[in-house]
Amino acid sequence: MSTASLQLIEAAGRNQWLAIAPELMLALIALMLLALELILPKEQRAFIPGIAIVSQVAVLIGLIINFNSPYINAGPTFNGLLLHTAGGQFLRAFFLLASILVCVLATVSLPRQRMPHVEFYHIILVVTAGMMLLAQANHFVMLFVALETVTVGLYILVSYYRDNPLTLEAGLKYLIMGALSSGILLFGITLLYGAAGASPDADGVLHTGFEYQTLTRFLASHPNNFLASAGIVLVLSGVAFKIGAFPFQIWVPDVYQGAPTPVTAFLAVSSKAVGFAVLIPLCLEVFRPYASLVVPVLSVMAGATILFGNLAALTQNNVKRLIALSGVAHAGYLLLGVIAAFQEPQAVGAVYFYLFAYLLASFAVFGVMTQLGGADDTKQELDQYAELARERPFLGAVLAIGLGSLAGIPPLAGFMGKLLIFVSAFKAGLYPLLLIAITGVVISIYYYFGWIKAAFFPAWRLPSAEGAPAPAPRAPVHRGLGLALGLLALGSVVLGFYQGELGRWLLGL
Amino acid sequence: MNAGLSEYLVLSGLLFALGFFGVLLRKNTLVIYMCLELMLVASTLALVAFSRFNGALDGHVFVFFILTVAAAEVAVGLAIIVALFRKRQTVMVDELNHLKN
Repeated sequence: MSTASLQLIEAAGRNQWLAIAPELMLALIALMLLALELILPKEQRAFIPGIAIVSQVAVLIGLIINFNSPYINAGPTFNGLLLHTAGGQFLRAFFLLASILVCVLATVSLPRQRMPHVEFYHIILVVTAGMMLLAQANHFVMLFVALETVTVGLYILVSYYRDNPLTLEAGLKYLIMGALSSGILLFGITLLYGAAGASPDADGVLHTGFEYQTLTRFLASHPNNFLASAGIVLVLSGVAFKIGAFPFQIWVPDVYQGAPTPVTAFLAVSSKAVGFAVLIPLCLEVFRPYASLVVPVLSVMAGATILFGNLAALTQNNVKRLIALSGVAHAGYLLLGVIAAFQEPQAVGAVYFYLFAYLLASFAVFGVMTQLGGADDTKQELDQYAELARERPFLGAVLAIGLGSLAGIPPLAGFMGKLLIFVSAFKAGLYPLLLIAITGVVISIYYYFGWIKAAFFPAWRLPSAEGAPAPAPRAPVHRGLGLALGLLALGSVVLGFYQGELGRWLLGL
Repeated sequence: MNAGLSEYLVLSGLLFALGFFGVLLRKNTLVIYMCLELMLVASTLALVAFSRFNGALDGHVFVFFILTVAAAEVAVGLAIIVALFRKRQTVMVDELNHLKN
């Protein structure tokens, strides 16, 4: 055998497959679901969603038991494609938890549609595996391929209820915007690759700009390279599309409204977190030598995102559009945390804590939305929440806790998240942005409380003596969903009072 | 006359700009879709050129990944466009704006 093929065999032998065992298991479960649908008799296929949820819980437990795996901080694996860090480990657990919750919501939402069920769970699992790989990417090829796995899967999920023209319209908008952002990101990667060139190391192995470490070294030694600056701006723009930051947020309200509610939750939580999982290592490590370029770009983006999201959310009557635009504002607060992290390394932990609090609160709200949504998932108006607290006190309480946490009302988890980010921003001296962010929080309280008010206080109605049908009584809460919602609300409250190990660990990152 | 790196880059930049502004300005979804593909092709051209001039092969390898991803994207995208056309009988973006309240 030639030396080249021997080298390849040796390189393949160095792959640490155990390091990505959770992702492999998710892929296997995804395939198993499809196989089960073929094998099982029709009356037993109703168990498949349950199998998907239980097996994901098992993977999550395994991941948490192995949280301090020996691969963390032990250098890159797969010949530089992946790098395992403590933050990446946290994000993997985050994506798995979000995926489980999306599956729980889907068990309520899917039976209302005449659509195949199993494929939905299959795609969610594959997309989640892609997200978990993205959280550990250390190479631009890995980044692009994993990001596209996520994005293409999400195109299908967004337009999943294809009987509904509005859902398809949302799918088309997401498709065009997603593909545009991928194209921009890819061109940025290409420019960075071209700028960095190739340099052999001591062993004669060529290193190119695809590798994060090589690119960092190049950027540090060439402070004013035009090609690299253009590449950095394009990559940041591509990622900004994913997190829905201004001026790349135009798709957010339409797509969130048209997508099935569980997918809206997936977009709002996981897809946004993916953007930050990519942004944090890129900004804070790879592009750090170009901080004088990156920080102003991100600062303008963060300020405009917070203001736009909060102001646009004020006028919305459709709750899906409202939560979409408030989600834009949340992306702005998270960006503020990323900017602060340039000077205050603790801010990264604050961003992770914020994401976790956002997950708990968002899924509580989306759970209530899924429960209350009808056959047409795109029409969810504020009026539908009238008298909710009197008729279904449990749902009302969960909604109030979720929205309160999103608004940042003490002592809920969302408040602690905002506090941690704002404190790091203060320490980093970002006073103008901090002022904008606090203004944004004040504005956001208005529309979040408008929603709570709609659910808790009797709304003034036209005297409906004749004609107007009385609203149908609301369906009782599904048992599994009720359990999940109760746990989420409890989590939001407990995490607000007591951050304990999680907070300590995150801030020590 | 030999084409150098800068010629390839100019061509690639032109293709990218053509695709980008096509996406923003055209009204027919299918044409928009072609423009999106043009943006990906611009990147592959630049990658191959860079790879050739850097003397490293990984740019070429990346191109294969991009082609595969683009194929998957087209398969999903055309399916969505066809499903939408069946419901609405149109592929023009200015008629597909029912999602605003």
